[in-house]
This record gives sequence, C-alpha cells and structure tokens, in this order.
Amino acid sequence: MRLNDFQKRFKDIILDTPEALEDVPESFASLFHAEDIALSERLKVYRSTIVGGIAENLCKTFPLLEALVGKDFLLDMARRFVMAHPPESGCLNLYGRGFDAFIRSYAPAHGLPYLPDMASLEIAMNEAYYADDDEALTARDLAAFPPEALGDLVLKPRESVRLIRSSYALDALRSYCLEPGGQPPNLNKKTYLLVLRPSLDVAIVKLEHSEYFFLGLLDNRVSLGAAAAETLERYHGFDFTVFFEKFLSLETFKGLHSNS
Amino acid sequence: MAGFCFRRSSSFSFDPVGIGLRYPYYQQILDERPSVGWLEVHPENYFGGGLHRHFLKEVSEHYPISLHAVGLSLGSVHPVSKDHLDKIRDLIELVDPIAVSDHASWSASGNAHLNDLLPLPYNRETLDALCRNIDRTQEYLGFSILIENPSTYIAFRDNEMCEAAFMNEAARKTGCGLLLDINNIYVQSRNHGLDPFEYIDVIEGEKVGEMHLAGHTERPAGDGVIVVDTHNRPVRDEVWDLYTHAVRRFGCVPTLIEWDQDYPALEILVAEAKKARQILLSMSEEASHAAE
Repeated sequence: MRLNDFQKRFKDIILDTPEALEDVPESFASLFHAEDIALSERLKVYRSTIVGGIAENLCKTFPLLEALVGKDFLLDMARRFVMAHPPESGCLNLYGRGFDAFIRSYAPAHGLPYLPDMASLEIAMNEAYYADDDEALTARDLAAFPPEALGDLVLKPRESVRLIRSSYALDALRSYCLEPGGQPPNLNKKTYLLVLRPSLDVAIVKLEHSEYFFLGLLDNRVSLGAAAAETLERYHGFDFTVFFEKFLSLETFKGLHSNS
Repeated sequence: MAGFCFRRSSSFSFDPVGIGLRYPYYQQILDERPSVGWLEVHPENYFGGGLHRHFLKEVSEHYPISLHAVGLSLGSVHPVSKDHLDKIRDLIELVDPIAVSDHASWSASGNAHLNDLLPLPYNRETLDALCRNIDRTQEYLGFSILIENPSTYIAFRDNEMCEAAFMNEAARKTGCGLLLDINNIYVQSRNHGLDPFEYIDVIEGEKVGEMHLAGHTERPAGDGVIVVDTHNRPVRDEVWDLYTHAVRRFGCVPTLIEWDQDYPALEILVAEAKKARQILLSMSEEASHAAE
C-alpha cells in the first residue's frame, strides 16, 4: 500500500466510531504485525491519544460550558466534534471554531438553547487570548491627528477585539457559572458584549446596543465619519465624547501607525 | 545566529541538561532560576501573542531555548505547511534558539491534522517523503534541524530497514541531526521486541545532536501490555541504563528531561536533570581517561 493510502485509511479508521477499530478491513490489518496483541488494542492507543487527547484539549477552551453541562456531557460532545471536524492545523490553540454551530445541531443539547451562544463567547475569549500582540491607540494619539482628517480615518479595533450579540444574558450566566449559588439569572435578555485583551488578560465588557452598532461599523472598516453619521441617524444624541473616553481607556483600538 | 544544531562535546558553553518550559512553571522559573542549562518548548504552544509569548520572551533572556516542534508532520506525503514554518520562523526571531527539532513521524492526511506522532513504514517511499519535508524545512529556515525517533504501537510487516538504519539514512540524505529519544527506544524495544542496546549501537554517533529522557506507562491490552510514551512520570531505571550506554557511545550530548502531563513539583524535574548531568559528566571523564 502506498504511503498516501495508508495515511488516509489510518486517519479514516481513527476518526470513525470506536467499533470501527474492532472490524478493520483485512487489506489494512495485513500491513501490521499483531501476533501477541490484537491490532484493535494497538489502534485503541492511537484513538485514545488522538480523539481523546484533542477532545480533552478542546474542553479546556470551554470552562463555562463545562460548568453548565458537566465534564462528561461536554467531553462526549467534544469527541463527536473532533470526529466530524478534526483539526486542520498542527497547532490546537484556536481549534474549536465552529463548535458553537456544531452544538446548535447536536440533539442532546437542544434543551439548552443558550449553549451555542455561550460557546461563541468562549471561542471569542480564546481567540482574544491568543491574538497577535499590538499597540493600543491612546487619547493623545487621536488628539494629535489633524481634525479635518478624522472623518476619513479608518479606526481599526485591536487584533483581540470580538463583538458578541446574543438573545440570552450571557454575562449574567457567566457570572453564575463562575460563582454558582443563589437564584439562576433571568436568561431572556438581549446582550451585547465586547471581548478584548488589553494586555495579557482577556476582558469582557457589556455594551449598549448603540455602542455595539458603532463598534460594528468600525470593525467593518467603515470610516469614522461615515460610521458616526450612520450611528447618529439611528441613535439621536449618541455621545461620541463619552464613547471615546470609555473605549480609549479600554484600549480598544490599534495604535495610529496601524490605522489609515 | 550560529549553532542551531547543538554543537557537540566540549564546544558548547552551557550546562548540557535542559527541562521543558511548561505553563505551571513559568513564574517559578523566573523567580528561582533553577540550575538547568536550557529550556525546551513546543513552538506550537507559542503561536500568536499574549501571555505565553510574553513569558517565553522573558524566560529566553535568562536561558537558552530549544524549539521542539510537534506539528510539522514531516512524514506526511504532502509538503510541510508554509504557514506553520512561518510561525516557527517568527519564534526563531523572538528567542534565537539553540536548536529546532521535530519528529520522524506523520500527523496530517488530507485536511485533517491528527496532532499525534504517528508511525511510518520504514521503506524507500517513506524515506523520500520524510527527506523531502526535512529538506523543505531546512531550506526555509536556513539551517539544519534535528529529527527525533518515535514511539509506536503498531509495526509494519514490510519494513525494508530497521528504525535505527532509517534514522541514519534520513540524516545522511538531508544533513539533519538526530534527536535520540532514549525512552522511545525503550518503548520500541518493549512493544516490538527489539534489542534497545543494539538500536543505539546502530545509530551513527556523529549525527546525534540531542537526547531525550522521559517516563512511560504500561497499559494493559488484551492479554499483554503496550508501553505508552506518556511523559507523565520519572525516568525508569531501565531507561537510565540505556542512557548510560548511549552517553558512553555518543559522549556529552545535550539532554532533555521531558514531562508533559501530571506535572510534578519543579524540584523533581531539576533532580532528574541533575541525575542526567551526573551520568553525562562521569561518562565524559571516563572517556577522557580512556583517551589518556
């Protein structure tokens, strides 16, 4: 068997159901010595390190989900995700993108409709944690920019910035997960969140819808002038001074050398 | 940036024994500066920015760093990922490592990267595929890397050569060095009935640029036992014996104590490093007396 065929068949068997290890086709099994210990026992070691190892690693990205559903449920869901959507990279730091969509279609989780959004929040937190380092824009940087040119400025959010929108009170649910006890929060509340990493720690900031809207435009590379006009049209009286005081102090935007 | 392949015997100017830099030890290593010569990291854990990169940079100002990759999948049929190499090159610029290494194994097939160090049949086709990727890597990085012998749990019927000869041949064809994992040799001997001392004797000594020591686990499998390379416990006595044999044969080669799960207190790793250093130094003295 050619190397390419062996690697493909090995991959397919390992990512198949556990029962597949017990019934390996003879054309594959005959490639290996298995005199003393059965091939299925040997392949189980690989399945354990591959599917089990990657799933365990994936679970570490979702401690809030674990708090909500327990380790066994999360691990089972993670295993099925690994089998259906194995990693494509030799680096697992960002593996788990798409886990939120997977949960949405995972029947045993249908009773917990907020779970996919909670997964989206944890994916955003993980991406922020590993985002490339960059410098923050300061109020002084912005003040030094010629006022007549501000309208054309495209203000780029930091590499770590992620915007999250949910029909559920994810922030309250997160607090409940971190400090369980007392009454569970009322979940039916639209929530807008900013996830970012100002320095080494990831921060989560609750947003007004108007802030979410304006930040969303800037995140889509709309110029400052056009974004401001569109925001004012929808939210009369939106206070840009207050906005910039808040989000510059949160170190939300990239330094001017990265902006145009 | 000279010396990406470890320099041999008396020519290196640092303590020859290293340990792995892992998350639980970041702050303690910076605070206590334990007595080890260098630190090894898996570069994949430092892709991107943030906390891990921050600590790596800080630690690299106090210790030489070795980049021991686990994600290049050198034994895959398809070419090694340029994106992965770019990220390793970025870390090379950050920490100026003393060595860069990966494994004689495969992980990726099609779009799936299985994130494990998987076995290769030892034949000409495999050797060519592995060497193509080692060549690509060395060409891209601009220096020689080291490749490590694997632990495996299946053995191919139609191998055309033994594993030690396969490793020698890969090094000969590409100019890379060998990273000889002594625990892996022991694991192979138990799982496939090899003579581990003979394995070491077949390895061409001038190619060996680094050695690894680690713990393993015996896992019941049907009526037998499979020895699994788990890196979660102290180095076993049998592996120390093999290491002594390897040092006698290869000399004072830089050596790493690996521990990647169920992390112990840092002091335990440092004690294992001390034991390896004592063997390295005593064997070196023995060799120099013999030369006199």
